[in-house]
Amino acid sequence: MALAIALLVLASTAVLAHPLSNRLGRDAGYPLGALFLVSLGLIAFDAPTVLDGGAVEFERQWIPALDVAFRLHLDGLSLLFAILVLGVGALIMSYCARYLSVEYDHGRLYLLLGAFATAMLGLVLAADMVLLFVFFELTTLASFFLIGGQGLGSAKPATRAFVITATGGLSLLAAVALIVSVVGTTDLTEALERSEEIAASPQGPWIAGLLILAAFTKSAQLPFHFWLPDAMVALTPVSAYLHAATLVKAGIYVLLRFSPPFAGMPGWTIVLVSVGLATSLVGAVFALQQHDLKALLAYSTVSQLGWIVALIGVGTTAALAVAALHTFAHALFKATLFMLVGIIDREAGSRDIRELQGLYKVMPVTATLTALAALSMAGMPPFLGFVSKEEAYSAFLELPGPWGWVVAGIAVVSAAVTFAYSFRILHGAFGGGKAQASLYEPHWSFLLPAAVPAVAGLVFGLAVGSLNPLVSRTVQDTLMVETDADLALWHGFEPALYLSMVTIALGVTLFLLRAPVGRALDRPLLPFTGVQVYEASYAGVQRLGDLVGRSTRSGALAPHLVWPVLSVGALAVVGVLFVGELPVPVAPLTRTGDWLVVALVAVGVLGTVVTRNRLGAVSMLGVVGFLVAVWFLISGGVDLALTQTLVEVLTVVVAVLVLRRLPRRFAPAPRRRVVPAAALAVGAGLAAGLAVLALTGRREPSPASEVLLNQGEELTGGTNVVNTILVDFRGLDTFGEILVLAVAAIGLLALLRRDAPADASSPDATAPDAVADTAAGDRTILAVASRVLVPVIVVISVLLLWRGHNEPGGGFIAALVGGLGVALVQIPRGAGARSRLKAVPLLSAGITIAVLAGLLGLLRDSFLQPLKGDLVIGSFSQSFTTSLIFDIGVYLVVVGLVVAAVDRLANGRVVAAAEATQVPPSAADLASMEEPTGERAVVRR
Amino acid sequence: MSAAVLVAVLVAGGVYLLLQRGLVRVTFGFVLLGHAANVLLLAAGGMSRREPPLLSTTDPAVAADPLPQAFALTAIVITFGVSVYLLAVAGNGGDDDAADAEADPSPARMTEQGVEL
Repeated sequence: MALAIALLVLASTAVLAHPLSNRLGRDAGYPLGALFLVSLGLIAFDAPTVLDGGAVEFERQWIPALDVAFRLHLDGLSLLFAILVLGVGALIMSYCARYLSVEYDHGRLYLLLGAFATAMLGLVLAADMVLLFVFFELTTLASFFLIGGQGLGSAKPATRAFVITATGGLSLLAAVALIVSVVGTTDLTEALERSEEIAASPQGPWIAGLLILAAFTKSAQLPFHFWLPDAMVALTPVSAYLHAATLVKAGIYVLLRFSPPFAGMPGWTIVLVSVGLATSLVGAVFALQQHDLKALLAYSTVSQLGWIVALIGVGTTAALAVAALHTFAHALFKATLFMLVGIIDREAGSRDIRELQGLYKVMPVTATLTALAALSMAGMPPFLGFVSKEEAYSAFLELPGPWGWVVAGIAVVSAAVTFAYSFRILHGAFGGGKAQASLYEPHWSFLLPAAVPAVAGLVFGLAVGSLNPLVSRTVQDTLMVETDADLALWHGFEPALYLSMVTIALGVTLFLLRAPVGRALDRPLLPFTGVQVYEASYAGVQRLGDLVGRSTRSGALAPHLVWPVLSVGALAVVGVLFVGELPVPVAPLTRTGDWLVVALVAVGVLGTVVTRNRLGAVSMLGVVGFLVAVWFLISGGVDLALTQTLVEVLTVVVAVLVLRRLPRRFAPAPRRRVVPAAALAVGAGLAAGLAVLALTGRREPSPASEVLLNQGEELTGGTNVVNTILVDFRGLDTFGEILVLAVAAIGLLALLRRDAPADASSPDATAPDAVADTAAGDRTILAVASRVLVPVIVVISVLLLWRGHNEPGGGFIAALVGGLGVALVQIPRGAGARSRLKAVPLLSAGITIAVLAGLLGLLRDSFLQPLKGDLVIGSFSQSFTTSLIFDIGVYLVVVGLVVAAVDRLANGRVVAAAEATQVPPSAADLASMEEPTGERAVVRR
Repeated sequence: MSAAVLVAVLVAGGVYLLLQRGLVRVTFGFVLLGHAANVLLLAAGGMSRREPPLLSTTDPAVAADPLPQAFALTAIVITFGVSVYLLAVAGNGGDDDAADAEADPSPARMTEQGVEL
């Protein structure tokens, strides 16, 4: 429980950041830092249990279906990192309270720092792999905002850092998914207990590779290192906290945490040791090259992280103990150095190492603290940095055969370069004459946060034995073996001691030769920089995307539509290759009469395809539609045939309404289009026909159809099985479908605006009028006919609705008949006449009624479950189910669609396209548009 | 066999029209493809039993599979809804298949928008 509270207390800093900053300004850092200490205290409360070998756990349900839970635990490794996150965090918060200028946006910075710290603490406490991933990503996100918060210039570095580290995050997610596929749980502790299974599984190498990628990107290893120096555009306290002490250690944490399955595997060791050492060496040389103190420290961090990665790669208990120790030591001296650079920058106005000289004479305390941290970084006794470096040599020498000496040799060179750049800082602080006499020591409250870790580096170096329990526990909990760390300042005359001496001798030589070394390094070491490579590949990816998307970047439809057609072809190829032997058809499928329909349809389709006369095409399409209705009829689909016939009539009505505005003839298709289209069409037709032939009619009636036919009446009280399926068995499907229809209708209403009758300025307003005038005679006949027919149609429509449950009919069919009535009333009235039926009320009433009928079902069991009962009025009795109410809803929606179509296609004018292509109007345009917009709103209701 | 030929004919005609320019013909192609899909649905239920599934008049043992019929019925109505929408777009875009309707939007401009986020 204390763990969860510690996390909550830390999260409260993010919540309190703005209120406190509004009241206290930059001083809000002090109470926020105190909250960090409270959180640390809560963790420390559990520390004795952990050091005694116990583990503290916390669990809350999160996604039980996937066995993902909000699991936290505290063991040695978590404790070590939690101390860093919270301890350094508290120092940084109080440092911010003096570092920030008074005008800075303190609330934002404190909020982001608090949120980052919470994510980081969550990461090291997480005992569930999904949770671990979520926190890992949150640290990336917080880092992005913290880097990017420094104005436009920081946008690119922030994006680069984000893209690199988020790639690692995805890689971690993939690794987690693979681990779960092996062990079947997201519980981190349980997964690690089954390390041998993970290592032995075929996924094992992939998991290791993905984890390494995640860690290398996060911890800035070659070749991803460049984002870290790049990220130095962030505020100095942010660099100190995220990019030195904690965030970049998240990769280290992941490697340590997932060491059990892989430690000792040759591949793991080779990759980590080689890349780690290479990073360490390259980073150190780059650091030596820098003049900007912050850039120097950034490359130094890259180098030190490489050092730790190499140690993790060695994988022995001793090596991991040093990795843990060096993580701690590095956090202390690097956070100190960053904070001091910030102070010097603030006071002296420069971060150039060459302008630091004589600092001791004006800022003795600052210079001394700098020296403490720099000596620890250089690995001078008796500082903590010395212990961790010497222990590292011992660990490297444990590698088998000659490799121990090779690796240790490279490590010595890297450490010597580190020594050299550390002494450059030291020399800058102490050497030289008094260059900047106007400088003075900053207030002690500014120095204190930097002084604490600087002094701690010395104290822990002298009393390194006091860290033994923590480091032992860390290693035991990391590798899950019994071991005791034996850290000491003095181990006697051992190989490691001689290596330390060589390091210092080499380092001093490099430092003394600083003038020639500086000249040698004062040029680009490589023909390209990491940032350039990144930007080139980023641009390359964009070009690739451009290339892929080019074919679809067209206003023409065919380039879009050809892809689904081609993929159907691909599906056919797959089918031919992989569908094996087919069962024999169960019964004869074809009847002689079928062929007549097929032949007539073929003629109709051919006609539709070849004609260039629009009206001809519509007529042919109508013929095909009626023939398909006949097909439905001979296939036993009475309701289908009815529906098809009605839809066909309405389609022709709508098509004619549309076509009267268009030219009589289609534009001729160019030959280059005809031939490929015809080839594709024939191919697709063959594929579809073959598929039907191969894949249908080869089984007995499905069990579902047996149930529907044999028990349908009993279950629903209706004898028209198709209708009972629509309203009783699969009511939810039907509900979804009427929603689609309603959306199509609303789309029409939105797309087409009714023409204002007096809108003579509209260019196409004259054409319909002319048509209307010449057609006046026809209209009279239609108008008379409609007076006679419409009442009959309405009666038939209602009857069809009522009887639909038992005989052909039902909501869809009845509504289409009603829709014919609507068309018959509306068309003779000509353009400009308002329909008395309004689409929107019909649509909304229909959907409301359908929902209400569904909710009635909820009274019994579930949404849309029909209730049966008898309706008794006097001596009249009629069985009745609520599915009829649902069918009324269907009816109203379909009628609404027809009303919308007839009304708007007869009178509407497109608005959306014209408005969408306009450039954004200026303010003056907007003002002048206000009047008509209001009018339109009225017209559109 | 007859259903397969029918589907083949409808799909061929539909795909051809779908690949023409001009939204009206594309819509017609869409309607033909809709027919093809419905015929396919019925065929999936089997074409050997063809009596209407009306229990008051038909013996369940010879009735056609009602489930695909229910699917096809809603599909017909939805095809209608979508066709109406497409026709509305087609009919109001001016001369939908005049030569300049084919003109692509400038690729250069699009690229620029794509690159500069």
